[in-house]
Amino acid sequence: MSHPRRSRPVRVLAHASVAPRIMAEFNRRQFLSVAAALGGVGLLSACGGDGDGNGATPGADATGRATGGELESQLSIYTWGDYDSPDVLERFTEELGPEIRLDSFNSNEEMIAKLVAARGTSGYDIVVPTGQFIPQMVENDLLEPLNKDLIPNLEHMDEAFLSMAWDPENQWSICKAWGTTGFVYDNTVITRELKTWNDFLDAAQNEASGRTSVLDDPAELTGLYFWANGIDWTTEDEGDLQAAEDFLVGELAPHIAAFDSYPGGSAIPQGTHALMQVWNGDARIGIMESPDPDRWTWVLGAPVTQLWMDNWCIAKGAPNIEAAHAFINFVLAPEQVIDQVDYIGYHTGAKDVESMAEEAGLEMLDLVFFTPEQIETMKEGEVNSAQQRIVDIWNKMKAAAGA
Amino acid sequence: MRAPRFLLAIPAWAWLAAFFVLPVATVVYFSFGYKPGIFGTHATDVLSLDRYREALSPTFFTTFTNTLRVGVLGTLLCLVIGIPMAYWMAVKVSPGKRAFLLALVIVPFWTNFLVRTIGWQVILAPEGWLSGMLQALGLRENPLAILYTRSAVLLGVVYNYLPLMILPLFVAFDRVGPAMREASKDLGANRWRTFTRVTLPMARPGIIAGILLVFIPLMGDYITATVLGGARGNMVGQLVASQFQAAQNWALGSAMAVLLIIVIAVTVLVGAAIAYVVTWPLSRARRLRLADLEGLPEKVR
Repeated sequence: MSHPRRSRPVRVLAHASVAPRIMAEFNRRQFLSVAAALGGVGLLSACGGDGDGNGATPGADATGRATGGELESQLSIYTWGDYDSPDVLERFTEELGPEIRLDSFNSNEEMIAKLVAARGTSGYDIVVPTGQFIPQMVENDLLEPLNKDLIPNLEHMDEAFLSMAWDPENQWSICKAWGTTGFVYDNTVITRELKTWNDFLDAAQNEASGRTSVLDDPAELTGLYFWANGIDWTTEDEGDLQAAEDFLVGELAPHIAAFDSYPGGSAIPQGTHALMQVWNGDARIGIMESPDPDRWTWVLGAPVTQLWMDNWCIAKGAPNIEAAHAFINFVLAPEQVIDQVDYIGYHTGAKDVESMAEEAGLEMLDLVFFTPEQIETMKEGEVNSAQQRIVDIWNKMKAAAGA
Repeated sequence: MRAPRFLLAIPAWAWLAAFFVLPVATVVYFSFGYKPGIFGTHATDVLSLDRYREALSPTFFTTFTNTLRVGVLGTLLCLVIGIPMAYWMAVKVSPGKRAFLLALVIVPFWTNFLVRTIGWQVILAPEGWLSGMLQALGLRENPLAILYTRSAVLLGVVYNYLPLMILPLFVAFDRVGPAMREASKDLGANRWRTFTRVTLPMARPGIIAGILLVFIPLMGDYITATVLGGARGNMVGQLVASQFQAAQNWALGSAMAVLLIIVIAVTVLVGAAIAYVVTWPLSRARRLRLADLEGLPEKVR
């Protein structure tokens, strides 16, 4: 008997009653291979873009500002993953009523893409963008102005974290949490003391070669080079960007073991790397989880490093705008602040939060709170014309590291 | 009167049109556009091939070569491991145990893909339990250094994709049936000959299905590779995703996605051509024609 290898007609001697079954069998096999081809391509085309629809109903009073009227029964918050204490959220619903629906994003870009695509009908009430994205969000009509009369707890905020460059009058945003970038090293592998970004880069190319991870974020990578070399990390100058590319792609890439934004989750507790670029709150979680915390040394990036600040904002067209104001006011109250700091490991910008945290006995507070001199060395990022260029550098570096 | 036969196929066609043809067409259309500004993701008022020129950069080629290496090696490993496993399950195991074994193959799919892959990260970590155990048993002096290497990527690929290879192979071997093998033995072939000349060629559709089912999704997967390979697991799927998510440049991302589709299609065709060229002389040499039997003694004829 022949087999259907070349799609020539197949002749089978069989009883008439089983003939249809045999025919079906051969067709099914051919179908299997074709279906596999189609199915595979279908999967491929699915990678990338996010769905826009989230089934939420657009608000009727999309244009009306909050007046302090009755709270709606729901509240929808679109924020970074695992970024609020569940206790605080529960208390809000218990005390004030609205049920909270949480949704999370991985990058500002992802969140903005969703808001842009929805054009005011996203159904989200509260969004939490990083500061430098706020001016363009306002310009593109993605945010509602805040009614500060409904947020009296604003008085519990530290002045230092209000009136930031991107929103000088806090018309659109109030600090939710802020943090910075530094690095953690294994002092059993790197026995000298590391103090600056230049030390980081040097160790990465020597003792920690092949055991170094960097943040999986374009601006953090070019930032690494700019911070170490005294260049403004918001530069749009092609010469600076080219120099960053030459160093990161040509020299640093071969020494990098991983691009990992959250080494605190597993790399530090499991001792996977010897040197890791890391955000302060994540470093704290990682070191606290480690079976041998003394092995890890945290260094705040120096001579300069970044300051990122995520902010409470209200999305354009928010269907539950009263509840959104009530929630922002609620989380700013001193009673909620400690639970938030304890849960996320970042400074919330509240007044006296440091002494409150000390009283509450929270651990490793040097990774949460910084001295005014340290804060002086931290600089906010910017979204500018270099965005595509730094994403290209990031991709080139990843390609070079993987080659 | 009978309803026309194509009625039954309408749901399938509608599905394909809505979830395959339309999205791919949109991606192709976007790929001719451009990124209008920092906050725009795509615009298509001026169409050009410029995005393709940008996409065909050295970065794309380096990343693509790495992806292709993982794709081809991973598929071959799955095939080499999958064939004996599927053959054993289909032929050697009693039907009662077979269902149990099939269930074992499928059970890992009940857990989320990412969780399973991160599970391997925990196992392979230099200070993970596997490393500790090997050191305690004296099998290794130094901590295990496999995480974030290409070997770890291949291990993860085989773990995640092997069932997709085993299942079509199992079905194919199962369909060959004992009658064919018996006939082959009756005609004087030994086990090896029966396997290579009868069972394996007849299982060909299953082998092709298995290869495609593993290779094609694998080329678009970047989770397995980045979780276990770190910097060594840079995949082209991630390059495409970065244009959509980080750069917000849907036009360039679409051009890359279209290129990826084309290159994968070409790779599959080239692979099929190579397979054909390699097997053609073999099957020719083995072909038995009655006319060739002329010179044999009377008894055999």
